[in-house]
Amino acid sequence: MTKVIEFKDFSFRYKKQNEFTLHDINLTINEGEKVLILGPSGSGKTTLGSCINGLIPFSYNGEIKGSCKVCGIETQEASIFKISEHVGTVQQDTDAQFVGLSVGEDIAFSLENDMVPRNEMLEKVKESATIVGMENFLQSVPYNISGGQKQKVALAGILHNDVDILLFDEPLAALDPAMGMAAVDLIDKVYKEKKKTVLIIEHRLEDVLYRHVDRVILMSEGRIVLDTTPNELLKSDLLKKNGIREPLYISALKNAGVKFDKDDNIDNIDELNIDKYKKNIIADFKKKKKTVNLSKEEKIIEIKDVTFKYGDFTALKNISFDICKGEKISVVGKNGAGKSTLAKLLCGIIRPSEGEILYNGENYLKFSIKELGRIVGYVMQNPNQMLVKDMIKDEIELALKLNGFDEKVTEERFVETMKMTGLYSMRNWPVAVLSYGQKKRVTIAAILALQPSVIILDEPTAGQDYNHYTEIMKFITDLNENFNITILFVTHDMHLAIEYTDRAIVFADGEMIGDDVVYKILSNEEIIERANLKKTSLVTIAKKAGIEPEEFIEHFIEREKEERNNG
Amino acid sequence: MDDKLFITLVPGNTFLDRLTGKTKTRLFFLFIFMLVATWDIRVIIPCFVVSVIGLLSIKPDKKKNIAITIFVLLMNVFNLFLVWFIEPDYGLKMCGGSTVLFQFTDYFIVTSESLWYFGARLFKFMASFFFSLTFIQCITPSELAAGLHSIFVPYKICMVVSLAFRYIPDITRDFTNIKISMQTRGMELDSKKTKVGTRLKQYVLILIPLIITSFDRVGNIANGMDLRGFGKKKDKTYYAEHEDTKADKYLAIVVWILLACFIALVVKKTFFPGPYEVWCPWCL
Amino acid sequence: MKKSLGQKLLGTWNTKTIVGVAVGAALFAVLMNFGGIKVTTNTSLTSAYIVPAIVGALFGPLPAALAAGLGNVLADLIGGWGFWFDWSLGNFVCGYFAGLFGAFGADIEDGKFAVKDAIIYAVLCIVGCALGFGVVTPVLTYAWYSSELTITWIQASAAIVSDASVLIIVGIPLLFALAKRNAKGTNLSKE
Repeated sequence: MTKVIEFKDFSFRYKKQNEFTLHDINLTINEGEKVLILGPSGSGKTTLGSCINGLIPFSYNGEIKGSCKVCGIETQEASIFKISEHVGTVQQDTDAQFVGLSVGEDIAFSLENDMVPRNEMLEKVKESATIVGMENFLQSVPYNISGGQKQKVALAGILHNDVDILLFDEPLAALDPAMGMAAVDLIDKVYKEKKKTVLIIEHRLEDVLYRHVDRVILMSEGRIVLDTTPNELLKSDLLKKNGIREPLYISALKNAGVKFDKDDNIDNIDELNIDKYKKNIIADFKKKKKTVNLSKEEKIIEIKDVTFKYGDFTALKNISFDICKGEKISVVGKNGAGKSTLAKLLCGIIRPSEGEILYNGENYLKFSIKELGRIVGYVMQNPNQMLVKDMIKDEIELALKLNGFDEKVTEERFVETMKMTGLYSMRNWPVAVLSYGQKKRVTIAAILALQPSVIILDEPTAGQDYNHYTEIMKFITDLNENFNITILFVTHDMHLAIEYTDRAIVFADGEMIGDDVVYKILSNEEIIERANLKKTSLVTIAKKAGIEPEEFIEHFIEREKEERNNG
Repeated sequence: MDDKLFITLVPGNTFLDRLTGKTKTRLFFLFIFMLVATWDIRVIIPCFVVSVIGLLSIKPDKKKNIAITIFVLLMNVFNLFLVWFIEPDYGLKMCGGSTVLFQFTDYFIVTSESLWYFGARLFKFMASFFFSLTFIQCITPSELAAGLHSIFVPYKICMVVSLAFRYIPDITRDFTNIKISMQTRGMELDSKKTKVGTRLKQYVLILIPLIITSFDRVGNIANGMDLRGFGKKKDKTYYAEHEDTKADKYLAIVVWILLACFIALVVKKTFFPGPYEVWCPWCL
Repeated sequence: MKKSLGQKLLGTWNTKTIVGVAVGAALFAVLMNFGGIKVTTNTSLTSAYIVPAIVGALFGPLPAALAAGLGNVLADLIGGWGFWFDWSLGNFVCGYFAGLFGAFGADIEDGKFAVKDAIIYAVLCIVGCALGFGVVTPVLTYAWYSSELTITWIQASAAIVSDASVLIIVGIPLLFALAKRNAKGTNLSKE
């Protein structure tokens, strides 16, 4: 077998950092392998990818020790253009790498740079676009296509050079669940048809394992921790230790006390031999506690038959539901389904075309945006778009000052908010030194300072690995439990919805197609399909074991919550 | 936001739309340069007629175009009025004659030469305005990049132009979102309710996250370009630039004729300048 | 790493710079069309003029000049105003000076921007505006349109005053704020 990638005692340090990011990497990847490089943020997996595609040292200067050979080329000595003849990269940020003004143009970008004449270019573009299923969108502009489609375009853009290695850097980060599945499927299709070596860098293990991979390389703190088959990895206890989420069905099996044997095949849920574990699962399921029903108490917001139109386009159609004090609700649905329109409506940035919204029984039309900000707080997805001051204190006090609170109240509220959010010990810090998670916390604190009764969080965990995700979500859950703040998550992350919310409201094409307890929504296949959600593996395993999926999910959630609360 | 922009991303389907970016760009620049180089109404009027025909031929959005045309026309008339106000006998300087038509005071006189000059100037400006309006509405940003490249602008600068267009909608969206988020936190953007000083300070606040997030994407975009071989060779080809159609080939001849006219105008202006800038039939 | 004089005056050029100029020009065009700051009901200052200062801080003066010049052309394009090369070139020159302050030791990316740098920046802005709109634009306007200079001068002085004031009044607090956002934290302890 030919070695296509070969790291020998390789270490790398970025110029601006004191510590090495990669330590003593020894890794060989053979031609035709499909490899998953797994690890939490900061584990060095993306840096490893940059060493393979030549961005290191071309774009990022630093200190290199040891050797890294790609298709026989020592990367330190070759130009990025030489390496890109062998390695095609699909980056994480599908929006940023889309540099063309139409799909066709973006696919053609590498051909343009290679000075391929246009008539040849047309053929090649068409061919690559057909492989990824974008041949009917060549004229489309980047603003009208989804993240999943942009990713397909990026993939098509690297196919015509007949590269040996395809490198995907966090291909699932920006996609909704169904698109993620489609992406994994497409990668597999290209892998099989084109017989390339495929490397996938990800932390979302369960989603990648939807299609077979040959090898998983687990990274942590700049080192390779484990290099083995998916099967062995799933049986080990290294995942949780290294901040990677186990596939839910694996967790469910482990919860039920299942012990795996050496030759058990567990990496594909469809091929899982359930008979072996059935006894355990059913025995464990019998321990299930009684169903808790949602108790609706004090209504804060009532949405009555609301329709909203942008010109001729109906973004929301006849929506009705209530929000009660202390609820945790997830608002789910694919992009463009009406989720963000709903968020804007609740903040009063746009107002209903028809129907009415009541806040504490009063028609909300009488409140200005500013006044509504004291009832409903809105936290944007990217904290960098919200933070305007350089000191935490100023950021928190900004909204209070803008709302005309006097100095004494402002100071009191500041201290109170800092204590609520656990930022008190950092209250005099500048924003610049904070991590992404801490910045997120500051933005939430800045909204909390106005003491709203409802907070809307837009994709609070987007792009976060399991540890950071858990940290942010625990923080928000504490706020909800300790201060009875109502929380609305606008999200397409199904794990978040399952584990941290009680109720899910589902949108598709501007209509509300579901409003129920989360586990009921998730076991409703019609809703799942219409909303571009993904069937969770818990449903599959429950059905296999002959248990009612609804109750099985509920049991699983209760179990996970208990575990979380016990630390 | 889209309806505020004049440039379109999707190619249209009229005669001018179907030309290559090269033809559109070359024609446009030659007409503009000719207009810049001359004050001769015998050149200006034909150009004006061509510009109007061009604009009408692409079937532009009426409401938007009429609105901006009225605005530009008023600006120009106002400018002419200013010129007259500062120097009523401007025609003497430009055409070499002073035939008084009306006289308000000793200073404020209206001469036929001044009116002739004002007419020439108005047509000159309106013609170049209509050319730009036509050009903007019949070219896509990618064709513009290819067209600029065809008039010897380095391809890296052409890339700046098309990249900038690529990210204008994204930046506009971020700008709106940041404004919204600040409004919900209590910022009053209504100009009637806040003082000038406060508004300036508020603007700084909105600009900070906008600048940070806008430039945050630079690294990722650049990596995406490097990885696909941007800058690998001395030049680049253009996917958006289709092969010459028949019309392009005929118009290439027009381009040469226009170029010759332009050179003739410049030569005449440089080496055989008349005593006065503006040709005027009765001042000869 | 010390930068050579050439690098200081021309900026460092690579793919990042190209993208930086493009993003700067896009930002300029967006702010020109949507980012007006109303001063009174009829007049507004455009916040677009701070863009060259930022591009200059990140990539050097020539990129700043290009971002301003091209940004102006793009703004005219998307706004439908037609082409005003005389003004775009004025912007180019003005942008060069507004982006030059990094050559005198300030480094926004590293959090270095002191009162001294603010003064240098302000002086450069005034010089740049005066040269760009007070010399380059009128000369070109005269050469191309042989318009009477008086009116061009009136418009030029209005541009000098309003653009220099945006560069200074909005720019300086902005640069300080950005520098602070980038400053490395030292000796921070939890209280």
